Amino acid sequence: MKAFKASLWAASAIFVLAAPRFLDRGTLNDLWNLAFAVILASAWNLLGGFAGQVSLGYSVFLGIGAYTTVLLSLRGVDPFLTLPLGAILAAAFSFVIGLPAFRLRGPYFTIATIGVAEAVRVCASSVSFTGGSSGLRMPAGSFDFNLNYFSMVVLAILVVALAAYIKRSAFGRALAAIKQDIDAAEALGVNSTRFKLAAHALSAAVVALAGSLYAINFQYIAPGSVFDFRLSLSIVLMPILGGVGTVIGPVLGAIIFSTLQIKLLSIPALRDSFLFIYGGLLILVMLYEPHGLVGVGRRLAALAASAFGTNRRIPDAG
Amino acid sequence: MQQLVSVTLSALLAAGLYATMAYGLAVIYGVMRIINLAHAGFMMLGAYVTFTLFSRFSLDPFIGLVVVGPLFFFFGVVLYRAVGKSMARSGATPSIESLLLLFGVWLVLQNLAYVIWTGDTQSILTSYTMKSIEIFGVHVGVPSVFVFLASAASLIFLNVLLKRTYLGKAIRAVTQNRDAALLSGVDADRISATAFGLGTAFAGIAGGMLSTLMAFTPDFGRSFLLKAFCIIVLGGMESVTGVALGALVLAVLENVLGAYTPVPTSLQDAVSFALLFVALVAFPQGLPALFARFERKAIR
Amino acid sequence: MPADAVISVRGISKRFGGLLALAFIDFDVMPGDIFGIIGPNGAGKTTLFSCLVGAVEPTSGEIRFRGERIEGLPNHAVVKRGVVRTHQIVRPFREMTVMENVAVAAHFGAGRRRGADAARRVRDVLGRTGLAAEAHALAGTLTIGQLKRLEIARALATEPQVICLDEVMGGLNPAEIVGAMSLIRSIRDSGVTVLMIEHHVHAVVGLSNRILVLNFGQKIAEGPPQAVLKDPAVITAYLGDN
Ligand SMILES: Nc1ncnc2c1ncn2[C@@H]1O[C@H](COP(=O)(O)OP(=O)(O)OP(=O)(O)O)[C@@H](O)[C@H]1O
Ligand SMILES: [Mg+2]
Repeated sequence: MKAFKASLWAASAIFVLAAPRFLDRGTLNDLWNLAFAVILASAWNLLGGFAGQVSLGYSVFLGIGAYTTVLLSLRGVDPFLTLPLGAILAAAFSFVIGLPAFRLRGPYFTIATIGVAEAVRVCASSVSFTGGSSGLRMPAGSFDFNLNYFSMVVLAILVVALAAYIKRSAFGRALAAIKQDIDAAEALGVNSTRFKLAAHALSAAVVALAGSLYAINFQYIAPGSVFDFRLSLSIVLMPILGGVGTVIGPVLGAIIFSTLQIKLLSIPALRDSFLFIYGGLLILVMLYEPHGLVGVGRRLAALAASAFGTNRRIPDAG
Repeated sequence: MQQLVSVTLSALLAAGLYATMAYGLAVIYGVMRIINLAHAGFMMLGAYVTFTLFSRFSLDPFIGLVVVGPLFFFFGVVLYRAVGKSMARSGATPSIESLLLLFGVWLVLQNLAYVIWTGDTQSILTSYTMKSIEIFGVHVGVPSVFVFLASAASLIFLNVLLKRTYLGKAIRAVTQNRDAALLSGVDADRISATAFGLGTAFAGIAGGMLSTLMAFTPDFGRSFLLKAFCIIVLGGMESVTGVALGALVLAVLENVLGAYTPVPTSLQDAVSFALLFVALVAFPQGLPALFARFERKAIR
Repeated sequence: MPADAVISVRGISKRFGGLLALAFIDFDVMPGDIFGIIGPNGAGKTTLFSCLVGAVEPTSGEIRFRGERIEGLPNHAVVKRGVVRTHQIVRPFREMTVMENVAVAAHFGAGRRRGADAARRVRDVLGRTGLAAEAHALAGTLTIGQLKRLEIARALATEPQVICLDEVMGGLNPAEIVGAMSLIRSIRDSGVTVLMIEHHVHAVVGLSNRILVLNFGQKIAEGPPQAVLKDPAVITAYLGDN
């Protein structure tokens, strides 16, 4: 079972990496979007899923990455060299937010993150060095799609691998303990603030990397695109749909989400109902299966196991 | 001097609206310990319903509020009956699940508005929209005066409701000491439904009033939701006077910043969102608790 | 203040709003003690433990662990120094297995163990607390007796020098109590100083070499078990004035 899972992961990785050899640009674009979605969802899940700290402000980190890349590229720096700086800035900003905000628990933390995200968006659209609400364009001639595609896919694979590693590590156990009972975790020596800050910084850096690649790919950014609340929303929705706190959940959520996005955008009648669908999905998940698709899968597996009278353990979807 | 009067006056007028807007959130939080993100959606819907009443039935927006209030109370109760059971309190702190659930409701409401009214910007133009009157030598828009009066009326109505009726008293009891009230046998389900209805009605009324002051789209409501959070955080989340105090603090701050500092208007919203963050972190119990602490220190 | 005390408490008090839950308590615990703490419901026993480990900040007073001040330190820092407590109302991580629950303590307690080293420690502790068979069960599925033992197991896995046991025998049947008593003795024999809150007077008297009695936040007696039980103040507190 374990070997099967591992080879499935490996086969998908090889497939997407080799895709530029045999797929057309349109399909590659879809895969690019998928990789982007997987990165955002898995990165958010490090803090929101593993540690249970639900932030609705992740567009901030995407924006920091994107703006760092465009602003530096406009000053003649090679776009790919700007990636680490964007990641470092995002991690630093995550500290600035997290240090005070992690004193808040549960939903209070969530609301504080909405406040920060909105404040940053408003600032970005009214100060001048970001180009205001009209946004910024990358310098011409700085773009190679295949390179961008590879970077995005490799980053996606690394993030999922990182999540799988963290889940099994002592760090992951600390996060899980914090999620389930923060006082009990502290009573066993877990410095909850430190681990929350670490998870926040790590995921912020990853999201900023994706933001940089996003800016390079689209060659144009504006507060309305990278700091959008709807973006923060979809970042949260994907892991919740798939199953928070698991490794596969955010990936499943990202697949469904980007498929929905692509299909919906191609059907004119449905184009205007994506909020219905997202909102409806969110309501359904919260009402019936807070563990998302992974939870549904576990239930089905349990059902199958009891139907066939085997007493195999319910597979751990991690 | 002139400016001081003008700033004070506009802060006061804004505070009335802010208090109405925030009270809707506070009553639901107080009774159910739920953070109602759908509040923004109901404010937006309130604006659109007022708009439709005005444009289709030529009902004056402020008279329209009399329809909006009960209608939204009904919406709130229906919503509670539909999904409320699963939001039942699990403890002293609100659950993240209920927050996300109501977030979903907000998205659905937004989309509903897109479908019914399209995404175009709408506004309400009455005969008095552009008129202004002079108070203490300062020109004030007639709609903001009406908004203030309507807010005052609805808050007074609310106060009477809370003080005089059985359900009102029960709501206050549950808000102030949940465990004791629930142990003493009040019907938690009925009170939650009523609180949810009241909260929704206040959101609708606030939205209706906002529609007479500014243009709106289905996206409308988010920044006001954040302001409402800011207010209840400042006000301590559970008392009517606390909410009024929080509303006043925010309104004064915004108006003073606008009048006396070079902070551009476009950044004013950022100021109140940042204030939300600071307030949450610095006074997790709200200003009233802070005052109480000072008093105790002084006594000791 | 005796120089060789492991725990020295001086003038500790804790106020919750208008209620003085602990009023200026002093006591010392010597290495190798089993130090019993008894008192009627609401006497402030749990609050005392919370202050000791830094889960709540005392309103006044000082706490020394081997001569070093520890009051005001956060809970996790106190655990890292070697003072840990169990919860009267059990607080397992319900969605983790028993083994994972204990592993958290092994990783982040005073021992700071990782990898195979941590796994060995976890196995050892599970064996001592009789939970080896449940190692892979989800903590949410355990019985109350097992959950109490899980509390002890997690506390032991932090490798403390002082362990504070808060009513670990509450809700156990007589056979389980006998088991718990011998477990507590073995903990002491392994070099860990034990503080225990217990309502089972038999168990406390049988185990402790010193007992502290609290009532309404006040210390009303302290001394060897037999002497304390004969103290008129203690008898009044437990039986009333008649
Ligand atoms: N966090 C708190 N806030 C307010 N009051 C508290 C808090 N914790 C405890 N108290 C009060 O302090 C007093 C002492 O409580 P504590 O739990 O320490 O008693 P105890 O001796 O452990 O009682 P029991 O034998 O029932 O466990 C009680 O009156 C309790 O209600
Ligand atoms: Mg106790």
